[in-house]
Amino acid sequence: MSSTEPLYLLFLVTGFTVGFGHCIGMCGPIVVSLSLNSKESHLVFRHLLYNAGRVITYGILGGLAGTLGSFTILASSILSLQKGVLIFAGILILLMGLAMGGWLPFGNFFGSGGSSSVFSKWFQRFSAAKSSVCFLLLGLLLGLLPCGPVYTVLIASARAGMSAESALQAFLSGMGLMVAFGVGTLPALLLMGKLAGLGWLKSRQVIYRISSVLMVLVGVYFIIQGIRY
Amino acid sequence: MLKSCTIKGRCLGFLLLIYLFCGMMAGNPWKAIAGGPSSENSVNCDMQQGPCTKHLGDMIVTLDILPKPVMAMKDLTFTLTVSGKNLSSEPLMDLGMPGMNMGPNRVELKRVKEDVFEGQGVIVRCPSGKRTWKATVTFPQTGKVEFVFDVIY
Repeated sequence: MSSTEPLYLLFLVTGFTVGFGHCIGMCGPIVVSLSLNSKESHLVFRHLLYNAGRVITYGILGGLAGTLGSFTILASSILSLQKGVLIFAGILILLMGLAMGGWLPFGNFFGSGGSSSVFSKWFQRFSAAKSSVCFLLLGLLLGLLPCGPVYTVLIASARAGMSAESALQAFLSGMGLMVAFGVGTLPALLLMGKLAGLGWLKSRQVIYRISSVLMVLVGVYFIIQGIRY
Repeated sequence: MLKSCTIKGRCLGFLLLIYLFCGMMAGNPWKAIAGGPSSENSVNCDMQQGPCTKHLGDMIVTLDILPKPVMAMKDLTFTLTVSGKNLSSEPLMDLGMPGMNMGPNRVELKRVKEDVFEGQGVIVRCPSGKRTWKATVTFPQTGKVEFVFDVIY
């Protein structure tokens, strides 16, 4: 048994506990947005795809941290990208919130939430079953969101890489730790996605409107944090 | 589905949704509900100016972090000086944010002199913008001291 193996379990459990706290803060708005804009029949599959994308990105980042043997080199390399992803996520949540509330003001392009607008048609296409792969791509991209606990596991990945005997082992050790962490976060985010996607909840107009307002606020918050990051 | 849900269930679900959104804004739903400052969150060191000293029984524990200024996302050297007691083993140092689970981030301390221990670590950046961090130093069978300080992003 290598010295890294007990860490897999440690970071799996860390992912589980962090999932119900920190991850709800960062990934939660996106998960809720996806749920509120998806048909219930596709919900679980789409959330699995989204989370699979996220975990794949985590794995790649962990592998890179392990190979480099340095967290700070990796972090400085992806800083601009993470800033962009944070702003992108904010814009996405903001647009979803505005679309849900029927408040998009830009006339023919965005429409006012009606089904004839370009944005609404794109949104409907995005929500269609055949575009489920978009959720995987979204997960791959949003796996880059800056997140304290993710950084913490990347530090451990870099350390595991430093003690590895080969570059391949360093990559695999780092990747393994990040994948374990990512898998640990799944229960919280899947549960949240399922709860937010409950049919009776979406059918409640008042709740839907309140959710839209909250999503707009969260989107703006993300954009501001992204600009300041 | 709608018919099968009770009024109580609907209210519970709605409250859960609000709770989750509060959590999103605060970065931690439990904290969003609990809220409020606590002594645990209070800064008790100015690590940017120099070393910080705490007492634990008869022990005097001094922590310094270099280089200055102490910045997040940089490789840092943590130096711990312990006087008043001869330690047979290395103390343990864990980094975290007060009131927030950031995952296990342990600095592996090694003895460099009789009463001096040193280790490398990184304080990560929280996208929420919160800058207060905590270094918890545990002395097995004796107790622990906490150094709470601000870092620069």
